[in-house]
Amino acid sequence: MEHDRTDTGTNAGTDAGTNAGTNAGTRIVIAEDDALLREGLALLLRAEGLDVVATAGNPDEALAAIDEHKPDVAILDVRMPPTHTDEGIVAAVEARRRRPDLAVLVLSAYVEQSFATELLGGGVGGLGYLLKERVGRVEEFLDALHRVASGGTAIDPEVVAQLFTRSRQDSRLERLSPRERDVLALMAEGLGNTAIAERLVVTEGAVHKHIRSIFAKLDLAPTDRVDRRVAAVLRYLEDLRRLG
Amino acid sequence: MAGPSEAADATTTGADWRSGLTDTVVRSLSAARAATGELASGLGTALPALLLLLWLAVTAVTSVVGVGLLMAPAPLRTLHSLAARERARLGRRGPEVVAPEPPPTRLRPALVDPTTRRELRWLVRHATLGLALGLLGVLLPLVAVRDTLFPLYWKFMPGNMTATSVGYGNAHSWPDALAVAMLGLGWVFIVLGLGPGMARLQARPGRQLLAAGPETDLSLRIVELTATRAAALDAHATELRRIERSLHDGTQNRIVSVTVLLGAARRMVARDPAGADALLERAQSAAEQALAELRTVSRSILPPVLADRGLAGALSGLAANCAVPCRIDVDVPARCAASVEATAYFVVAEALTNIAKHSGAEHATVTAYSRGGRLVLCVEDDGRGGADEDGGSGLTGIRDRIAAHDGTLSLTSPTGGPTTLKVELPCGA
Repeated sequence: MEHDRTDTGTNAGTDAGTNAGTNAGTRIVIAEDDALLREGLALLLRAEGLDVVATAGNPDEALAAIDEHKPDVAILDVRMPPTHTDEGIVAAVEARRRRPDLAVLVLSAYVEQSFATELLGGGVGGLGYLLKERVGRVEEFLDALHRVASGGTAIDPEVVAQLFTRSRQDSRLERLSPRERDVLALMAEGLGNTAIAERLVVTEGAVHKHIRSIFAKLDLAPTDRVDRRVAAVLRYLEDLRRLG
Repeated sequence: MAGPSEAADATTTGADWRSGLTDTVVRSLSAARAATGELASGLGTALPALLLLLWLAVTAVTSVVGVGLLMAPAPLRTLHSLAARERARLGRRGPEVVAPEPPPTRLRPALVDPTTRRELRWLVRHATLGLALGLLGVLLPLVAVRDTLFPLYWKFMPGNMTATSVGYGNAHSWPDALAVAMLGLGWVFIVLGLGPGMARLQARPGRQLLAAGPETDLSLRIVELTATRAAALDAHATELRRIERSLHDGTQNRIVSVTVLLGAARRMVARDPAGADALLERAQSAAEQALAELRTVSRSILPPVLADRGLAGALSGLAANCAVPCRIDVDVPARCAASVEATAYFVVAEALTNIAKHSGAEHATVTAYSRGGRLVLCVEDDGRGGADEDGGSGLTGIRDRIAAHDGTLSLTSPTGGPTTLKVELPCGA
């Protein structure tokens, strides 16, 4: 009996290990003003083998903790004291100014596109913007966290959907086929070609073809770097929003 | 079977008839009381109107020889301010009388100004007919009381003081006294029957002549209404922001915690069932907290008790549930805007909670009344005082709500007591 349990435990451990392995040892600072949620997050991440080095309840504490502990990733809530508006975004921008290589994942109670734009304005490498409830889908959340930690991007599907709705009237986006639009949305979320192929259940070759076609239709020069793709997409959509 | 039921019907009809009669009596008594009040208040502008009319006449006569021309602006200014007073008076007792644009004060344009001319026509009627009606309105009820009660006191009066109210003959015997009483009853019926009509007649010249005519430009009035409406919308927006914030930062965070804990528990369930169960336990309590907060938020939007029982009923309920004995006195005849009543309710709820928790008081008093379109709340206790708004009491949130409604809050609480919290809110209805 005892032996059995140990066995299962080890199995499960290895199982989780494969996932956590990609993140293991990542040093994290969490800033979230809601104490219960802050503890919940820390608990979840620690259970996954991540190293939560400090937690903070307001932007000042967060910046101090980032300076002191030099984490790999900072997870910041958008609405924090004192005004509960965009403190998290301001803190994220400031933290990046102090340490450009710091990966920042911003969690928000709702999608506010201007926040996304402000956050991603200075480049999208190592940045994420997710709705809070995505944390509950642990596997996907860890995946996004890993992407951000390794210099990639994680944009919430909601944000991308909003960007699309706002720019739909533009004729250049109208040129895209529905399939190409799906691919573009996943690109904007920060997924790589393999992941896009998996999500859409097509071959990587097909994805490649779609992406080339998208770049051609949107008059963008193709490149292989993930974050530059997203940057291009976002900048393009943002331009449309400004003009429209 | 038919018999008893018919009898029962007859009894009901009788009761209906009686209650119908009581209703009619109560209604006409209160109508007569209102009419008498109105006629008496009309006297308040009719007497100055008579004096002003004489003044104007003197001015006009002396103008012929030139002296009056120099004095003319003063009575004209008085005319305008008296007309304004009459508009305000009529507005308090009925539909608003919208003022026309301020008339010119210089003599020459004033003489051809339509507003001034209409005010002059009103002045003549109000100083004569209005004054007469006002005097009648005050004297008739007095005479009615005097005559109706005549049999009770005529014996004690000296002979020459027993003159009848119609000024004809003296009462010397019981039949005479009873006749006077009958006369008094007649007066009572006249007051009841004609009072409201007289009040309407007295108000009519003012309503017709002092209101802005169709030719008047109402743009000033529109500007004023636009400003108050903007203020109301502003209060509304602040209130919405408060609700949005409590939903996003409170309830939503609780539910996010639930999903985070559930996600963590699912990951742990195979690895460590006991740990997963502990997480599920926490998730459940977070969900319960979310429910409790949701209840608080929806109650904070509009407490159900206000809709069911009105402000007076809701405040009495608060007082009854207060741990400290609480006397309550609510005199708010008309209903205020729902959000104002809700704010008033929370002010009192918070104040009573603070009194029960911190003051050590033995008695508390809550008074609420409305005056001049404002709702005034006063909560007092005989406790130890020294209450402090920053001392963790819920007063800060209350103050925000009051500010959103453009109201005021003042707290006086010297050490040793007593503590008085006074709040004023525009009724906004």
